[in-house]
Amino acid sequence: MNRFCSIFRKNVFFISILLLWMTLIPSFFCGTAHARIVKIGIYENAPKVFTDASGKPAGIFVDVIEYVSKKQGWQIRYVTGTWAEGLDRVTSGEIDLMPDVAPSPERKKHYSYHQVPVLSSWFQVYAPKGSGIKSILDLNGKKIAVLDRSIQKEAFEELKQGFEMNSTLITVPDYTTLFKITRDKEVDAAITNRFYGLQYAKDFDLEDTAVIFHPSNLFFAAAVGTRQDLLNAIDTHLASLKKDPDSVYYQSLKTWTAEKVKFTLPLWIQMLGLLIMVFLIAALAGSAILRKQVTVRTRQLENVNHTLQTSEKKYRELVTLANSIILRWSVDGRILFLNDFGLQFFGYTEPEIIGKQMTDTIVPEMESTGRNLNKIIRDIPDRFKAYEQHINENIRRNGDRVWIDWRNRLIVDDKGLPKEILSIGSDITPLKQAEQKINQLNRDLQQHAQNLEKQVQDRTAELTVAMEKAQAADHLKSAFLATMSHELRTPLNSIIGFTGILLQGLAGPLNEEQQKQLGMVQNSSRHLLALINDVLDISKIEAGQLSLSFSCFDLRDSIEKTVHLVQPLAQKKALELLVEIDETVSEVTTDQRRLEQIIINLLNNAVKFTEQGHIRVVCRPEKDHYLLAVEDTGIGIHPDEISGLFQPFHQIDTGLSRKREGTGLGLSICKKLIQMMNGRIDVRSQEGKGSTFTLCLPKNCEVSHGK
Amino acid sequence: MGNELLIIEDNAQNFYMMKFLLEKNGFSIIGTENGRDGIKAALEHTPRAILLDIQLPEMDGYEVAAALKTHKEMADIPIIAVTSYAMAGDRENILAAGATGYIEKPINPETFVDEIRQYLP
Repeated sequence: MNRFCSIFRKNVFFISILLLWMTLIPSFFCGTAHARIVKIGIYENAPKVFTDASGKPAGIFVDVIEYVSKKQGWQIRYVTGTWAEGLDRVTSGEIDLMPDVAPSPERKKHYSYHQVPVLSSWFQVYAPKGSGIKSILDLNGKKIAVLDRSIQKEAFEELKQGFEMNSTLITVPDYTTLFKITRDKEVDAAITNRFYGLQYAKDFDLEDTAVIFHPSNLFFAAAVGTRQDLLNAIDTHLASLKKDPDSVYYQSLKTWTAEKVKFTLPLWIQMLGLLIMVFLIAALAGSAILRKQVTVRTRQLENVNHTLQTSEKKYRELVTLANSIILRWSVDGRILFLNDFGLQFFGYTEPEIIGKQMTDTIVPEMESTGRNLNKIIRDIPDRFKAYEQHINENIRRNGDRVWIDWRNRLIVDDKGLPKEILSIGSDITPLKQAEQKINQLNRDLQQHAQNLEKQVQDRTAELTVAMEKAQAADHLKSAFLATMSHELRTPLNSIIGFTGILLQGLAGPLNEEQQKQLGMVQNSSRHLLALINDVLDISKIEAGQLSLSFSCFDLRDSIEKTVHLVQPLAQKKALELLVEIDETVSEVTTDQRRLEQIIINLLNNAVKFTEQGHIRVVCRPEKDHYLLAVEDTGIGIHPDEISGLFQPFHQIDTGLSRKREGTGLGLSICKKLIQMMNGRIDVRSQEGKGSTFTLCLPKNCEVSHGK
Repeated sequence: MGNELLIIEDNAQNFYMMKFLLEKNGFSIIGTENGRDGIKAALEHTPRAILLDIQLPEMDGYEVAAALKTHKEMADIPIIAVTSYAMAGDRENILAAGATGYIEKPINPETFVDEIRQYLP
């Protein structure tokens, strides 16, 4: 407030300076003869008249006199002093005018006034807070401070006399001292005009009492009978100033005091008005602030509400539009909520299903696997943990069974007891079907594998039986062949024996024809014997009944012996029989009889299939074995025939037209025998040019044979 | 010691053939058709040698050879197996049973007598 005042005072000061300057300028130019110097007394009684912070005179009276001076072309001189000094200076003529003077009968003797009052004022008693002064009578016996020689003093003394009160009046030179001693409790109360009191009581922690008295008008005063021109000029201007609400006068009042100039209104109404105003303003301000706060709060709430709505909408969309079944159900198995997807999935509308038991609608009592789902649903709230994820069969309205993978969440009430269950489900029927299909396929595969295994077992058993049968048959065959061989030999023994006896002439001389025919019988019987021997050999070999008897002998001797045996046949066909045995060829350990059988066989074949040229027997050692080759210049072998050459009963030119003798078993026996000796037989041939059969014979077949 | 040979052979033709051939070469022949008679004849006549067929009715050649060898007086009489058995081990088996020699049927009439002589003491 003070700060506010001081700013205004400063402004007023500048305005005053400006006004002063403006009033001086015309007088300066118009000549000093017209420039009337007017001396004005100044004392401290803000806001009516006082010295502002910068030491310049200010106040309502100052504003008025400045205005009048400006209009009149006066030059103002201020003379500062106390109230009493001011009054003395007026009477002594030291100053022209003293402001703020209220006329009284006594004063009328010393001072002259103008007619139109500058201000009207009341006197009021101010006291420290809680003084209990409520009426004029409460001032009885109290010490009351009052301005020296002031009209208040005069007025209060009149009141004192009138009410017969015994109050002590303490006079002070200025208002500041007045309030100060009241604050310091040197006096009980102070009397001042309301202009000053209103403005400064607060600063001194004083309150205005209900004691208000003596309304008075305030004027500029001059020494009695003097300065009438000044007083008249003041009246003239004041009259016009008071008519114009925008005049300097009202602006000054507005500037210096909050008090309205409705002096005619009773004070309590003004006070009330002021209070109401203050209340109204405060109420308005408060309501504005409240309104503002409400608006802000409302906006905040709206925002929150909007956010909530958006959020809720989002969640609702999420729940309703989700491609999962979202289900809420009570602990007693009733459906509380099912989202759009779920409704569509199960084939119900909302009114059809909400509130219904799950087992009457979407859950079959018995799963196709045989589980009792009714029991499980009753079980879920109690043993929730076990069912947080649960796959079970459900049923659609049309009766279709579906498999759902459920994720369950238990919702509890305030007491922590199970209230409802939130279930989110995904249809896994295709998955389940695929799984079942895979399981079925697996079972089929297992069955198939078992079948296969059984087939293999059966087949193995069959094969074992067959093999046993074959082996038995083999034995039987061998036994049969052995028996046959024996049975054939017995009559053959007689045939060969008697033929020989007859041919030897032991039974008497034979003629030439008899000799010739008996010779034929002998040949045939020998061939028959060879056939029987070969068949016996092959059957023995195949039955594994042929065992070799090894001995160490000279290979050269064996070769030469066999060559010697075949020599007559070769000679008969005029074939050259060449023998080339390396010098180093000597001992060999193998079955001599069987080796010789092989060599004879090869030599016989060579002679048999060669019509001209030669037969050559070559033998040489090579590392741990001997190579023995029988080479001829005979008919040779067609390449196609070579592969089957060593098979039993094979003979080139098979059929009725064959011209060679032989069993067709020879080479197959040779091959089997040489293999039993851990050797090998190979053939090279060019059809029409000849063949070479080569034996590869280990020097000691026992080493690797093991027999 | 005479030149008597005992032939134990159940086949009449074979017996006759061998008897003819051997008699032509100066031997005298006693013959039986079975082993039992053969043993009896051997003990009775103590021949220079015994020609023994293997496949015989009732007692086979192995049994006969074994039985003969139990008699002390038979110890020095060669037993020559003449047989059409030609399976592996036949020769070894008969020699083990007590035979001195082994001739395979069919015989070679040109060499048969010489082969027999080879076994005679």
